[in-house]
Amino acid sequence: MRTQRKYPLFWIVLLALIFTTTIFSSLLAPFEPNAMDMNQIYKAPNATHLLGTDQLGRDVLSRLLVGGKVTLFIAIISVVLSSIIGIIYGGISGYFGGAIDAVMMRILEAFLTIPSLVIVLALQAIMQGSVWRMAMIMGVTGWFVTARIVRSEFIRLKELEFVQMAKMFRTPLWKILFGHLLRNCIPAIFVVTIFNFAGAIFTEVSLSFLGIGVPPATPSWGTMLYTAQNDLLVGAWWMGLFPGLFIFVTILCVQVIGGTFKQGGRSHI
Amino acid sequence: MIAKWLGKRVIMGTIVLIIVSFLSFFMMHAAPGNPATAYYGGNAQTLTTGEKERIEQAFGLDKPVLFQYGTWLGEALQGNLGYSAKEGRPVSTILLERLPNTLQLIVLTLFLVTITSIWLGLQAGMKEGSLLDRGLSIFSIASSAIPPFWLGILFIMVFSITLGWLPSSGMNDVRGDGGLVDRLYHMVLPLTVLVISHVGIFARFLQDSVKVENHSYYVQVARANGVSEREIRSMILRNAVIPYINYVGVTIPSFFGGSIVVETLFSWSGLGQLLVKSVMVKDFPVLMGAILIIGVVVVICLFIIDVLMICLNPRLRRGGFV
Repeated sequence: MRTQRKYPLFWIVLLALIFTTTIFSSLLAPFEPNAMDMNQIYKAPNATHLLGTDQLGRDVLSRLLVGGKVTLFIAIISVVLSSIIGIIYGGISGYFGGAIDAVMMRILEAFLTIPSLVIVLALQAIMQGSVWRMAMIMGVTGWFVTARIVRSEFIRLKELEFVQMAKMFRTPLWKILFGHLLRNCIPAIFVVTIFNFAGAIFTEVSLSFLGIGVPPATPSWGTMLYTAQNDLLVGAWWMGLFPGLFIFVTILCVQVIGGTFKQGGRSHI
Repeated sequence: MIAKWLGKRVIMGTIVLIIVSFLSFFMMHAAPGNPATAYYGGNAQTLTTGEKERIEQAFGLDKPVLFQYGTWLGEALQGNLGYSAKEGRPVSTILLERLPNTLQLIVLTLFLVTITSIWLGLQAGMKEGSLLDRGLSIFSIASSAIPPFWLGILFIMVFSITLGWLPSSGMNDVRGDGGLVDRLYHMVLPLTVLVISHVGIFARFLQDSVKVENHSYYVQVARANGVSEREIRSMILRNAVIPYINYVGVTIPSFFGGSIVVETLFSWSGLGQLLVKSVMVKDFPVLMGAILIIGVVVVICLFIIDVLMICLNPRLRRGGFV
């Protein structure tokens, strides 16, 4: 009953739009994101300030556009890093099997037992700092699911005839690992990476919201919601509504796209 | 057979906990500065090297790292997790104060989420293509994309600030007697946020496995033989619920993750809020203790899920595959 794969064109276009606007945010932003205007404090959305202004009279729309850059940058870097770690870890565990696999999987289970947000929090406590460092921390803690998927794919693939055949012909190990096994995992890795990307946005935003992510002065979607907690008390509803809406739509795009590819492939997460 | 299987699970849980303790110890060990520098803090200039060494000796910092870990673990097993670097109170006391609050929130969430998602998933999965079926699919994707704290902020804006119906923070009314009703009243918003952000994916999971069961041969044969729809439903549910329970087990850590954010937003003084606070003030003993206790609670939850699986799945009871 598999439905024919439809490309989620609408969502891809929307995501591309979000990406382009954030990349060119410094050109597109109607105001300088850090420019304060004390005459324009807490102005509700109007013709000049489309999404209103914050407690220092800064334009919310401009800050949102620039803030997306920080969030998406961290998410991309961390996902690349976590995919590399996950592929190596899962690949070793799956290909060699036996005692190595058992030990590596117990360690992985221990990692999965602690909520990932807790691990990230603890690492943030040790080395809080720049945007780069945060991307690293999230990359180092985000590879667990990828490793699992790669491991199970490797275990499945290595028993197949073409791999056995390649072994029989004494194909070098690296060729079997990369050319035969890894190449056949790519669809599965692709899907899990998409979901990881959504997860990374989630984590970055949550951390910044808790006030332990990027420094609060840097505009990012999470830090804007962090400050919004106080703004609600003075009735500045736009401060709470719009950053969340941006996050929601971005994650929704990524999830829907990932969901479609997941249905098309055979991998099950 | 069951005893052997459960024994294996207990051993595995213990191994997992040892690794967790190892992680939390070494994570803190890697932190810049050590407990001694935190202890003499601002007086670092006025102390001589000899005095510093004496303090380090008193803390046991001159011993090898593994030895320090052993000592720490030995003490931790006896319930001594050290003292908070900021409050000076024993970490175990602080944790035990906070633990019930978090458990209240998480157990109630888990209860509501499972009940609602099983009901919704079964209804939707049995009527393929119906409005509920499609609606639930859309809801589950949408709800998994909503950051829980944003949902919380929206709820605060609507229900606390605009309508003034529900409290936006705290666990009890300051003037109240702190009774059960008051506690539940304060719990409505955090609970709703946690339930909404989890119920979608859970219902979707059951919905999918109900559909798979519904198309399987035994159901078709039962239908062809005129078994009542009621009995078929119960057959399907009994089979579909097994992977579902397993999925709940896998997702339990994420409930704790979600509660961190929600507790902080609603000033609910549980473990999650404590964790965030101790990260901010760099209170490492509390941080280590909190990680450890969350690990213990998750492992216990997973064990309960395992026992539940044995009760629900006769194949496990008869010593089949695990």
